[in-house]
Amino acid sequence: MSEIVLVKIKRRENPQSAPYWETFELPNKPFANVISVLQDIQRNPVNIGGVRVKPVVWDCNCLEEVCGSCTMVINGRVRQACAALIDSLEKPVTLEPMSKFPAVRDLQVDRSRMFRDLQQAHAWIDIDGTHDIGEGPVIDQDTRHKAYELSQCMTCGCCLESCPQYTLDNNFLGPAVFSQARYFNMHPTGAMHKDKRLEPLIKEGGIANCGNAQNCAAVCPKHIPLTESIAEIGRQTTFYLLKKLFTE
Amino acid sequence: MKTLSKSEIQFLLLKLHSLTGIIPIGLFLVFHLGFNSLRTVGVQQYQFGIDLINNMPFLLWIEVLCIHIPILFHSFMGFYVAYQGKYNAFRYAYARNWMYTLQRITGGVVFLFLIYHVGTTLFPKMMEGKHLYEASPFLIGIMNEQMATWSGRLIYLVGILSATFHFANGLWGFCISWGLLIGKDAQRNAGIAFMFMGLILTLWGVATMAAFALDPVSVEPVFSGGTFL
Ligand code: HEM
Ligand code: SF4
Ligand code: SF4
Ligand code: FES
Repeated sequence: MSEIVLVKIKRRENPQSAPYWETFELPNKPFANVISVLQDIQRNPVNIGGVRVKPVVWDCNCLEEVCGSCTMVINGRVRQACAALIDSLEKPVTLEPMSKFPAVRDLQVDRSRMFRDLQQAHAWIDIDGTHDIGEGPVIDQDTRHKAYELSQCMTCGCCLESCPQYTLDNNFLGPAVFSQARYFNMHPTGAMHKDKRLEPLIKEGGIANCGNAQNCAAVCPKHIPLTESIAEIGRQTTFYLLKKLFTE
Repeated sequence: MKTLSKSEIQFLLLKLHSLTGIIPIGLFLVFHLGFNSLRTVGVQQYQFGIDLINNMPFLLWIEVLCIHIPILFHSFMGFYVAYQGKYNAFRYAYARNWMYTLQRITGGVVFLFLIYHVGTTLFPKMMEGKHLYEASPFLIGIMNEQMATWSGRLIYLVGILSATFHFANGLWGFCISWGLLIGKDAQRNAGIAFMFMGLILTLWGVATMAAFALDPVSVEPVFSGGTFL
């Protein structure tokens, strides 16, 4: 374990201002991770030139890789900062905000597009309204296993950051939304609104914008089988499209 | 009938782009390489095959409607799609990401090759009015000339390799996009199988090139007469 750690951070004052790099030098502590290093910088925000600067801003919450809010680009690769141990990283450690979401400040980005896109795809199961829709049917074990895998998505955005088809200025819904549409369509009660979820996927930014680069599945920290979800949604939309074009 | 929104049209155009890659363009590629491989059997057999095609009624219409327009549409959409990607194969250097990137590069290479290929075969054939039984001696002469030089051979090798890779990898993407290949293992196995198919298509094309290069014989029209429709 080296005595000191150099951390290079891509910073920016506000959404409009230009980004710049700032380096910090810190004593290395045992079991430090990127978040704990950022906390150390916050306590003593002095850069390598000895200048006292504004503390670095970042997002985090759960600190156990389940909320997704601390997602950033660490040494060129998108991942969760709370799960990135300093000892296992190449030095100097470079930290950048994700590039596919609007910048807020320093390492903080605005991921609200993901949540809006989940809304578009009706990514939930309707419960009783003014009337009782009854008890849900029993789900078999295999389906439950699959559903559990898909349910772990934490809307972190890693898949979108690595996807060559997802950009700041297009309207591609992206693999996480496709996977969630599949997840809710596979639930017997959710399946009652299957077409509602498929509808936005057969529009601009829908499933046809995926280019099958499969980066998304390779970087997903929850190992969600995104490429399977994409193909399954491909199948569902193919049938839905045929139904719409030739039977309605 | 309900009118389609701009957003729905964009989706349908992308679906049509995907479909035209297989039908008719991919099918054409397979038949084209297959028909030309008759040259490896002998120049007579080859001439027989080319004569058959060039005596088809409404050949020009079939070519324009089933081959030229779909290729132009697929290419136009292909460049539009390729232009919108944000490439990151160096940063996220996965095999699949490279295939995604190569799919776009080879599309562009095939487009350039097709301009050269059509410009040196179909175009002079139409310009000089070499129809029916006149076409095969004329085209065989051109191929003999092109396969006599290393620059010609290199152009064709790059063109064929790009087209076969683009088709093999495209078939894989097509099967996922339309929901024919779902499981992870199925996707991997089919990817390998399609690459073998691409390899065989490549060998087909290279064998044909070799036949022209090693044995450049010219032929005379077998018959005369007939009317070009
Ligand atoms: C020999 C001629 C060609 C054949 C046989 C062919 C075939 C195919 C096939 C089968 C696909 C897969 C469709 C899918 O992903 O669903 C495809 C995709 C593609 N083609 Fe072509 N193509 C040809 C020429 C071209 C040309 C000239 C371009 C122009 C750049 C081009 C650009 C593309 C692009 C960018 C894709 C990827 C689309 C995506 O993944 O979203 N292709 N092609
Ligand atoms: S699918 Fe995976 S990478 Fe994408 S948002 Fe969900 S957890 Fe993150
Ligand atoms: S398969 Fe590729 S293009 Fe499709 S969503 Fe995943 S990373 Fe993006
Ligand atoms: S803080 Fe929740 S995933 Fe890192």
